Amino acid sequence: MSAADADTELLEDTAARRRATLRRYARHPAFVSGAIGVVLLVLVAVFAPWLAPHPPTRTDLMNTLSPPSATYWLGTDAFGRCVLSRLIWGTRISLQVGLYVVLISLTAGTLLGAVAGYVGGWLERVLVAVIDILLAFPSFLLALALVAARGNTLDSIVLAVAIAYTPRIAAVMRSVVLTIRPRPFIEASRAIGLSSWTILVRHVIPNALPPVIVVATVSAATAILAEAGLSFLGLGVQPPTPTWGNVISEGQTAITTRPLISLSAGLCIAFTVVVLNLLGDGLRDTLDPQMRRNTGKLL
Amino acid sequence: MPFYLARCALQLLVALVGIVTVAFFLMRAIPGDPALYMLGDFATAEALANLRARLGLDQPVWRQYLIFLVRAAGGDLGMSVATGQPALAEIWSAVPPSAALAAAGMAVAVLVGVPLGIVAAVRQGSAVDVFVMLVALGGISFPVFWLGLVAILVFSHALGLFPVLGATSQPGFWKAAHHLALPALVLGFSVAAYIARLTRSAMLEVLGQDHIRVARAMGVPERRIVWRLALRNALITVLAVIGVTFAWSLGNAILVETVFSRPGLGSTILKAVLARDYQLVQAGVLVLAAAVVLLNTALDLLYGAIDPRLART
Amino acid sequence: MSVAFELRGLTAAVPGEKGAVRLVEEVSLEVRAGETLAVVGESGSGKTVTFVSALGLLPKPGRVIAGEALLDGVDLLSLEPEALRRMRGARIGMVFQDPLTGLNPVFRVGDQIGEVLRAHRSIGRREMRERAVELLARVQIPDPSRRVDDYPHQFSGGMRQRVLIAMAIALGPRVLIADEPTTALDVTVQAQVLDLLGELRDAEGMAMVLITHDLGVVARQADRVAVMYAGRVVETGTVEEVFRAPRHPYTISLFRSIPDIEAPAGTQLAAIAGSPPDPARRPAGCAFAPRCFAATEQAGCRVERPVLRGERHLAACHRLGEPGVAA
Repeated sequence: MSAADADTELLEDTAARRRATLRRYARHPAFVSGAIGVVLLVLVAVFAPWLAPHPPTRTDLMNTLSPPSATYWLGTDAFGRCVLSRLIWGTRISLQVGLYVVLISLTAGTLLGAVAGYVGGWLERVLVAVIDILLAFPSFLLALALVAARGNTLDSIVLAVAIAYTPRIAAVMRSVVLTIRPRPFIEASRAIGLSSWTILVRHVIPNALPPVIVVATVSAATAILAEAGLSFLGLGVQPPTPTWGNVISEGQTAITTRPLISLSAGLCIAFTVVVLNLLGDGLRDTLDPQMRRNTGKLL
Repeated sequence: MPFYLARCALQLLVALVGIVTVAFFLMRAIPGDPALYMLGDFATAEALANLRARLGLDQPVWRQYLIFLVRAAGGDLGMSVATGQPALAEIWSAVPPSAALAAAGMAVAVLVGVPLGIVAAVRQGSAVDVFVMLVALGGISFPVFWLGLVAILVFSHALGLFPVLGATSQPGFWKAAHHLALPALVLGFSVAAYIARLTRSAMLEVLGQDHIRVARAMGVPERRIVWRLALRNALITVLAVIGVTFAWSLGNAILVETVFSRPGLGSTILKAVLARDYQLVQAGVLVLAAAVVLLNTALDLLYGAIDPRLART
Repeated sequence: MSVAFELRGLTAAVPGEKGAVRLVEEVSLEVRAGETLAVVGESGSGKTVTFVSALGLLPKPGRVIAGEALLDGVDLLSLEPEALRRMRGARIGMVFQDPLTGLNPVFRVGDQIGEVLRAHRSIGRREMRERAVELLARVQIPDPSRRVDDYPHQFSGGMRQRVLIAMAIALGPRVLIADEPTTALDVTVQAQVLDLLGELRDAEGMAMVLITHDLGVVARQADRVAVMYAGRVVETGTVEEVFRAPRHPYTISLFRSIPDIEAPAGTQLAAIAGSPPDPARRPAGCAFAPRCFAATEQAGCRVERPVLRGERHLAACHRLGEPGVAA
């Protein structure tokens, strides 16, 4: 066989493998529905100003707590603001929180966990002790306390939630790194003189990423729930900025006459959480064949 | 045996100091000036300096920590700015109603979640399985405070079965229980959803193992295989997570307390946060941290007792 | 001696991407009381699936689609599930391959033997414990009255296998199926376990089926042997007949591939080229044809599936008995 033929074969091989991978993703119903859902949410958040029928903070004091109508599809709240518009704009806050929290906790958690799983010695013991302690503590309460100390701008809320949920990612990362550390190719890297830092960054972490990415999607969902909880308690982003948690809280006083306000906001949150979980499940099942055991997932 | 207990006590002490230390430094890790936070933006420089001195914030961090440790060991966690009472006493009085809610909620969660998880696993893929898993998905996807509102709407308002308020000042055990019921059920449901999913996957994993196949080949009836031989293995997995689950449920408990206007740690800490009562918030966090550590230690002991592979020979 | 256990045309399949995949096809075997039948084949030849499905233990979505499994004349596969359950363990026992995972890690060994007993008899706690100690002694576990309270992780692999054997014979079954009982064990322990099995068979008059891929074990323990390939029985007869004069090219190749210790140094080891076919993609005609030294066009090896032929020593080959097709 000539060299040219061998090349063509190699190219076709790679292309075929890529197609096969794409097909594997496309065939997985959880991944597909999760991905579609997330894309939908992102679109709503990005195009909120155009999608929302009314400005979310504009009050219409002649029409407070009105039922769904042609002008106000989901009715209005106690200040006469359009509920639907507030929900649409609320997507922005939720997704931003989810995104930033994941970015921060993923970076910090990956580094912390990788170091804690790799270095050994007293540093590892100290890190593990700290991670264990933080893991034991209820994360939501930790976020609450941190917000209490700093205040409730979007930045500090993101920071508080990120700090509260970083230990989880660090713990997962550490346990994965523990399984990678003894592998022969790591030993080989050390034998040829690569520094620990290089090994960690270029070899250990890339191999450890798949399960961590899965945890990241679930973390995003948890972060969004945490933010909603903080908003509900009055510790989140302050009104009149619309967040889903705020809307639920504001709808509480009218719950018996106009349940739709709180109910619809809750549905938004649930939809986001479900979609992120599906994406995570799908990613886990397709990313790493070794993780595909019978976990009993239905989809 | 006494040596083992002494070792456990020491570990407990170390863990307590550890978590308190971590909490202490974490509260100071967030940039920001507590004195400014407490007094607001318009405070004078003099007032700020006074408060900082009173809180000991002008000392180097290490000295603050040591002073704090010494005082905490003696039970002094500072004063609540709002009430002027010792912070620890305030927190302590809020513990019983929260403990009742947390315990009741956890009981519901386990009693409902575990059997549902088992049933779903045994009938994997059937309509029952799908139904249970969907309900469980709802339980973990909807915020717990939303579930509380829905429960109020349906069970209090529409059906009139339960009172709206989560607590009552009237005496009587059954009256208190009646008011506790709906919050406990809501909290329990949200945690049960999680436990059901966990139990289901643990059971599925065990049911696929060789020793179960062997039991079937020996003619052991399926019912006994599921409820005795498999379940004990699965429960060990679930139990390992119960500690973390309980800690997580405390976060939900605070939200439930708010929805049902129930007194307890949740409302106390929340009021402290909104009133910027720094010492009280810190005290609350520390008491909770200590409770979690104690619980986890107890669970570790229990876990070591029931899994024969962990027994010390 | 009567036939204790007989399989007739057993066929089991699982659904596959392009229709049902037959894991085992038309398997017919028989064992008599006091006799050991060895079932030989490579991994994937269907040895285990055959007996697992005969006991009704094939995990869904697999099912038996044809054939009978007769225990003393009663077709197990026609029984109601509850009736079949009562047979398992009590009348027909099975010992599986991996002793390290075959015992429940969180129950004491005595309790696990007790589970088998109480599944079929109503029996008191004290009697259950006594019987468990008896059984442990029977399988030669030292200090049984103390060991009966131990957990599986406190036993070695070989001892755990003995416990599993004890559970399998606890109720005195007519038939014992041992699936690769020694594969996971040290060589030194293997002989002990095999001897134990032989001794139990003689003492209880059981019919024994020994599933293995080790021809040495067959030579040592078995009276009759069945060779399986790609889900079918390709040769069967007494051990003497088959070992002395194998008739199926697969069996012949197997024997040829056994290294000869007296051959001159540097002699190449003979192996059978290729590997067994994927059950979903078996070739038309004889499944062994692609690797067979005797396959020819005119015999129809690639076209038609051969059936077992012969008097007592049967083999499934189109070119049976022809010159050139012999050891």
